[in-house]
Amino acid sequence: MTGPLVPFREIVLKVHSRCDLACDHCYIYEHADQSWRTRPKAISDEAISWTALRLAEHAKAHALPSVSVILHGGEPLLAGPERLRRVCEALTGALDGVAELDLRIHTNGLQLSPRYLDLFAEFGVRVGISLDGDKAANDRHRRFADGRSSHPQVLRAVGLLRQERYRPLDLGLLCTIDVANDPVAVYDALAALDPPRIDFLLPHATWDDPPPRPDGSATAYADWLLTVFDRWDAGGRPMPVRLFESVLSTLSGGPSLTESLGLAPTDLVVVETDGALEQVDSLKSAYDGAAATGFDVFSHSFDEVAAHPGVRTRQLGLAGVSETCQRCPVVRSCGGGLYTHRYRSGPATAAARAPGGFDNTSVYCADLEALIRGIESRTAAGLVPPAVADTGELLVAQHDLTRSLLAELHAELAGRGGDAWQEAWELAGTVERAAHNTADAEPTASPGHTASTEPTTGTEPTTGTENTASPGHTDGLDEVLAHPYTRTWLIDSVAALRAERPDALATALRFPAYVAAAVIRGGLDLPVRTGYRDGGLHLPTLGTVRLGGPGEHGEAEVRVAGKGFVVRAATAEPLLVRPDEATPYWRPVRRLARDGAPGFALDDLDPYRDCFGVPVHPGLGHDEAADWSDRLAAAWRLLGERVPEQTAEAAATLSTLTPLVTTGPPAAHRRHGYAHGHGYGALGVPLHGGAEELAPALLRAVRAARLRALTEVTDLYALDGEWHRPAPWQEEPVPLSALLSGAYERVGLAAYDPRHRDQARRALDTLEGAAELTVGGKSLLTTLREEADRG
Amino acid sequence: MTHQTSATFATAKKNRTPLAEIDVRDAGVAKKLGRVLPMPADRTARVSSFNSAL
Repeated sequence: MTGPLVPFREIVLKVHSRCDLACDHCYIYEHADQSWRTRPKAISDEAISWTALRLAEHAKAHALPSVSVILHGGEPLLAGPERLRRVCEALTGALDGVAELDLRIHTNGLQLSPRYLDLFAEFGVRVGISLDGDKAANDRHRRFADGRSSHPQVLRAVGLLRQERYRPLDLGLLCTIDVANDPVAVYDALAALDPPRIDFLLPHATWDDPPPRPDGSATAYADWLLTVFDRWDAGGRPMPVRLFESVLSTLSGGPSLTESLGLAPTDLVVVETDGALEQVDSLKSAYDGAAATGFDVFSHSFDEVAAHPGVRTRQLGLAGVSETCQRCPVVRSCGGGLYTHRYRSGPATAAARAPGGFDNTSVYCADLEALIRGIESRTAAGLVPPAVADTGELLVAQHDLTRSLLAELHAELAGRGGDAWQEAWELAGTVERAAHNTADAEPTASPGHTASTEPTTGTEPTTGTENTASPGHTDGLDEVLAHPYTRTWLIDSVAALRAERPDALATALRFPAYVAAAVIRGGLDLPVRTGYRDGGLHLPTLGTVRLGGPGEHGEAEVRVAGKGFVVRAATAEPLLVRPDEATPYWRPVRRLARDGAPGFALDDLDPYRDCFGVPVHPGLGHDEAADWSDRLAAAWRLLGERVPEQTAEAAATLSTLTPLVTTGPPAAHRRHGYAHGHGYGALGVPLHGGAEELAPALLRAVRAARLRALTEVTDLYALDGEWHRPAPWQEEPVPLSALLSGAYERVGLAAYDPRHRDQARRALDTLEGAAELTVGGKSLLTTLREEADRG
Repeated sequence: MTHQTSATFATAKKNRTPLAEIDVRDAGVAKKLGRVLPMPADRTARVSSFNSAL
């Protein structure tokens, strides 16, 4: 087994090995493993101390930010308040200053009293209680040894925990399923107690000892759970249900939330009352000694247990499930089910049809698949991110991401940006508020982000200040943040700070220039101080003002004046800039405008434009720009004729074209420039080539930009790279991201050039049923199918 | 029409959190950022997954 050791983040500490109930479905006492008979009843002080020591040592060695310790049994309250206090003190003391400690206890509730709860409140121990539903359901298994019902006592404990002073400790209710119980009655009884969380457990079973199926149905447990799901959903999902939330999470590309589902590696270890270190204790249902490792806290570190083959097997993700599971479309959600439920006795030979050991599907396989597909069919429409089908929502999500990145940069700096950052940050807030107030008063007329469709001639400067007169100024900050290369700068800044790059602060402190551009675009009478370097001050989306020679650095003040702005630097005369007029000291960002083509910004100035993986042009001369514009306009007209819908969509979403000094596809070149990409709206387009060459290059770039934009704000797939599939355009199989990307591009290109149609269709066929696809990814696939069918 | 004057954008803008109040510790924000930035371990949500307890 390979791969790095996965540290333990969750410790199940058995503080008492006996129980005051005699539930007949208990895996500790009623199943294959009988090791409880030889364990000490209560954990010793020595085992407590060593556990705390080992855990602190482990957390420190792996720099774990937090660890969870679950006090468990038997029945953990039987350990008594004094012993539990010693456990809490030892763990809290050992972890102090090392890692955050999340302490929990799981109990049957019978002994719960204010004495315990006051102790738990003191140490922040949160409490979960087992309850199997209404009285009839709970009484089916959860009885005293003499057969008496435990239901009234459990309800009393739940009531105690619901008191105002203890309510913050309440974790919720854990219910083991019995399909003989009425699912609605069970759910209603649990929900009536208003718990903060519920979970339903499949009763432990193996292929040797399969679960009861009273009506013979292979999906009896799924049917039972889906009935509960419908009840929960119809009631407005009043509390999280862990099992359902886990499926919903994985359907959307998120993590599983329980070890019983999903492919996440196990990070759990059990400490028994005698200090023995064991694997997850549900294994006790498989066979006697199944959970044993031979290690203990007195002589062994947690790292030694983490390296145990039995633990490592459950950390292999996809490679750790059976071949049948690896081919199953729902494996990302079910993960092959709980490890224990895969067990079958007998020789573990590959030749056997059903080998012994754990290399099998779950004994609940049919249930798990039916449950996952059932939840998906009920919820998929609501789970698909709006951005997948709605361009407006995609642009909103992209903008929201850039704003979040700016907030992240502010947090990452944590004061290190000094006055220069703080001043700019506060100004940005002022610009935002001013725009918000104006927006409340009247509709905003924005001059900036998206290309104008007004027919114009020539390569013109972008307009920056046409609408600067207040009232009615535009939201300059939104326009500057929507600029695609602002994203490139933000990600580079955060990455630089995290990597402690020497240029990190200087990189982040480009921010005042962005604010200055926002102020100018918003027409606000606010002076902005900003640094410049190498003699140049680049105002994103507007242009570059020359304030000195190469190597000269300094500070300038930028202020709106009339129909332009004034730049004052200590070493030079004030410069009056009209954004649309090029001068010896001002190079505006030009607008690429020709009849029939949108007025995209021709950005060959932004210092962060070098983010396409291939070299960008250092700056086009007037004639070069005019020539490129002519050829692009001709290419655009070709696209408009052959793929009018895609062309109109691109015109409405793109803002910026940057010339590339290559004619080949990016993959053919060494990675170049910023690796972080850019916000939605920019295309890198080859400088060379006629309209017939540029048109497909533009379309290819448009398709790639849109898919990339989608993946930046939605989860279309998860576990990319776990599988490789054949791609019709190359010999080597590819991961799903590459297959989807190739299909997305070819479906678009096929409408322009039918030669791409066959590869597009074959790729779409291969994508069908791919386990990596989320509900969003599947929705996109359906849209692609429809697009491909339209031709 | 620019995307900033679209109805979708106008609605989102009206309801959005001011820049200075965006809480980057929030799990939802961390999830968004995590798609384009590697997120430190202490910023990724972790749940207790033990089957036999909450």
